[in-house]
Amino acid sequence: MDKQLQVRGTTRMEFRKFITYLIPWFIVLGIGLYAMYLVFRYGLNHTNMDNRFAFGLWIYFDLAIIALGAGAFFTGLLLYVFKREEFKSVINSAVIIGFICYSGAIAALVVDVGQPLRAWFTLYRPNAHSMLAEVTFCLTLYLAVLAVEYVPIVLKNRKLKQIPSFLVFEFKLHKFMPILAGIGALLSFFHQGSLGGMFGVLNGQPFSFRETVLVFPSTFFLFILSAIAAGPSFIMLTTWLVSKISGKKLVTKNVFMSLGKISGILLLVYVLFKSIDSLYWLNKTSPAVGFTVADHYGYAPFGIWILLLEVIVLGLIPALILINKKFREKMHWLLTGAFLACAGIALNRFVTTIQTLSLPTLPFADFLTYSPTWEEVAIFLMVIAYGVIVYSFSFRYLPLFPQERELNSK
Amino acid sequence: MFPWVHEFRPELGHLIFTGGFAMVFVIVMTTIVIVFKKVYEIYKQRAVEKIAWQAAFEDFPTFNKRCRYEISGLFNERTCNNYFDCRECAVNKQLLEKGIPEKALAAAGDDGNTEIFGLNIPLDRMYHRGHTWVKQDEDGNYLVGLDDFGKRLIGKPENIELPEIGSKLHANGTAWKVKRGKADTRILSPIDGEVIETGDPEKGWYLKIKSEPDNVDTSHLLKHGKEIKAWFMKELERLQFALATDGVGASLADGGVLIDDLPKSNPDADWDGVYGEIFLEP
Amino acid sequence: MDTRKKIKTDNNKTKHPQYGMVVDLDKCTGCGACSVACAVENNQQPATPDMCSRTGNTWRMMYKVKNGEPFPDTKAVFVPMFCQQCDDPPCKYVCPQNAVELDPMTGIVAQIPERCFGCRYCHAACPYEARYFNWWDPKWPEGMEKTLNPDVSPRMRGVVEKCNFCHGRWQSARAKAAAEGRRELREDEYKTACQESCPTEAITFGDLRDPDSKVSKLVKDPDTFTILGRLGTKPKVFYRTTRSWVRRTVDRDIYSENKEKVHG
Repeated sequence: MDKQLQVRGTTRMEFRKFITYLIPWFIVLGIGLYAMYLVFRYGLNHTNMDNRFAFGLWIYFDLAIIALGAGAFFTGLLLYVFKREEFKSVINSAVIIGFICYSGAIAALVVDVGQPLRAWFTLYRPNAHSMLAEVTFCLTLYLAVLAVEYVPIVLKNRKLKQIPSFLVFEFKLHKFMPILAGIGALLSFFHQGSLGGMFGVLNGQPFSFRETVLVFPSTFFLFILSAIAAGPSFIMLTTWLVSKISGKKLVTKNVFMSLGKISGILLLVYVLFKSIDSLYWLNKTSPAVGFTVADHYGYAPFGIWILLLEVIVLGLIPALILINKKFREKMHWLLTGAFLACAGIALNRFVTTIQTLSLPTLPFADFLTYSPTWEEVAIFLMVIAYGVIVYSFSFRYLPLFPQERELNSK
Repeated sequence: MFPWVHEFRPELGHLIFTGGFAMVFVIVMTTIVIVFKKVYEIYKQRAVEKIAWQAAFEDFPTFNKRCRYEISGLFNERTCNNYFDCRECAVNKQLLEKGIPEKALAAAGDDGNTEIFGLNIPLDRMYHRGHTWVKQDEDGNYLVGLDDFGKRLIGKPENIELPEIGSKLHANGTAWKVKRGKADTRILSPIDGEVIETGDPEKGWYLKIKSEPDNVDTSHLLKHGKEIKAWFMKELERLQFALATDGVGASLADGGVLIDDLPKSNPDADWDGVYGEIFLEP
Repeated sequence: MDTRKKIKTDNNKTKHPQYGMVVDLDKCTGCGACSVACAVENNQQPATPDMCSRTGNTWRMMYKVKNGEPFPDTKAVFVPMFCQQCDDPPCKYVCPQNAVELDPMTGIVAQIPERCFGCRYCHAACPYEARYFNWWDPKWPEGMEKTLNPDVSPRMRGVVEKCNFCHGRWQSARAKAAAEGRRELREDEYKTACQESCPTEAITFGDLRDPDSKVSKLVKDPDTFTILGRLGTKPKVFYRTTRSWVRRTVDRDIYSENKEKVHG
């Protein structure tokens, strides 16, 4: 029966082995669910967040996985709107990664807010000036779009598609993919940007406040750029990882190289703008309200090194690796570049959330540190376990990589 | 967001914001509604089988979508974009009007040899690319059967699910289903028509399809000896490829001829995958 | 007879009073009576042993600020920090569900717990760390719920709250005035709990629009300043000190720089 559900012509590990491999992940999921129960039942005092450190691990995690999940909409945009046909071989995987990232982020957000049942208030009477309202709208709608994009992949399961009407539905829905991809891209641009704008508008936090360009703070554009730069790299890394774990070739190398090239070019543009933005902020925006470099980078461990690490080691260097064809042709360089790019974006999100809250704004407040409780870590790991489980089942039973059969023949 | 909500302010920014999202919401919902409407229309036109085949066809890798005239050598390279339904293909129509296939393929003549690698290929019938053949019976109705290649692939099936008498078949729709061990597949119907009688492997044919007042359109089937043989050669190539995928590389031939019951002689091969490849069910 | 002359403020053109406060740091002894009075007035949940200074609920945080010199030159000043009732409040701008509003009637930044879903974005936006989240379910020891103030509704777990210049008191003062047929409040009719409880009378509270009110006279004093005024949030809470080290430590906007401008 299990074999009957798998894609024709592909081999997957034995069912027993598959379940054994998933058991640890289910345990992690279970622990996370228990932590979730504690938070819902007894409140957010089970976290180490406090009135000043109001955002913690979860918000950082949300920002990071939403940025990395940008590969879904960006690959879709390239494939369906710009007709880059080579990305057909990763689009299904990208959509599922995107779906996991976004639904995981929303799950973490639901635990994070104090009264999740009131979240619909934002949709009903939003404050149009709030970046978070924009994020809520975009996330809700985009998750719906991702779910609609996921449906055709599920309907392609071997058993499901034997029901002709499912196949017909899938076929017709697929014809509308360019529209959905376009809408998805629009929504993604806005919420990636708004997540950056969320911190860029905080005129009470000179560390994250940025000048406004066309009604949006500069971080709005930087977040879009960095997300679409890291997205393809993350798709590459996950595909490579799945390929390693399953022991199968999944896509041809030229797809990896295309992803790397796009990532590299965008990352270079991002690093350029990020540098200009940082210099302008350190020399103009921030001194204008009386905050100097020492106020931002004078507290250990967040020295100026963190900015240099982000912009040069995890920005400029991977960009140069990825735009250079000679490096791109070597798999290990390609993967190194992609990994550094993703790490750079993750660090950027860390700095944006955690360092902002660590630094004192009041002249007599202290520099704060924060470490998450086991509940926070458990829910963080739960989202990862959820992703692994959803992806594992999808990989086992759904046709994710159309090139797989061809590439694994002798 | 909504005008009836307390303190709704019709400011420009607010209107753009909510208008934008309302528009996106409407577009997504309209898309879904249109999809459902299209599916409903397909149901009403009873074209479900046809569309299902088209959906499957789109998943084929390019090398499985070769035009029949590429295989027979008329074109150097051509990928089918009509879901193997030459009746709707403009290029095929042009070629037929000019009589080119007739001249090039039939005129080349066939040597009367009806055997390739031990495969028996009688040329008194027409072949469909899903490994079925169609032959007009004495009474004018059409017999449909599995060709030798298909027979050897399936061997002795454990289960055959034939359509009921009186049911309508569509070309490239499902004709019948077979199951052999862990593998199963559906066999594509070569022509349109109503089933009037069912056969079995022993009889050599599976279905008898009623001839319409006029003869059924068979322009999509392979007719000429040269074309049929070239196609079988390509199919052997595809079989080799399918068997080479993942693990067990089965030996096909036993002294130059294809083994009668392939699954029996190579039980470890992924026959499920092979069936999907050869019988065009991805 | 309305003798009030209007003061022009930048972004609020209403005729209504705009309440503000001046805290005299030279008078403040850091006794904390204001925090206690505030907690009692506003039905704040009593602290449990699990709470710390940053997770417990007080709308008035008392900071002890030292000059950083070693003994015997150590000096300290107490700075009560609470919602600064900004005229351009960053928290209002960021709240996704309109749970923060700037009341045009009073100039008070209102936090509406019924609309709040506890995303705490306003915490990140507030430079004064003046917002408090209900990390726990509020619990009162048995019998103590009888001491709750009926004018102020307690807040539930998972929502944000903060100082609102004892808004309950403003409402009852208005009700009383209305009963007497008046629309306007007299200066002594509306007092905050902290102001009333302060033993050294370090807190002055009143209408900033009224040039005759004590508070607007004090605001014009050159020794009165706002904390983090340069961020542009236009706070309506002011601090006052004549000690230069206090001004230098507490007021981020470099004191000497301003002095030079004044004299130059």
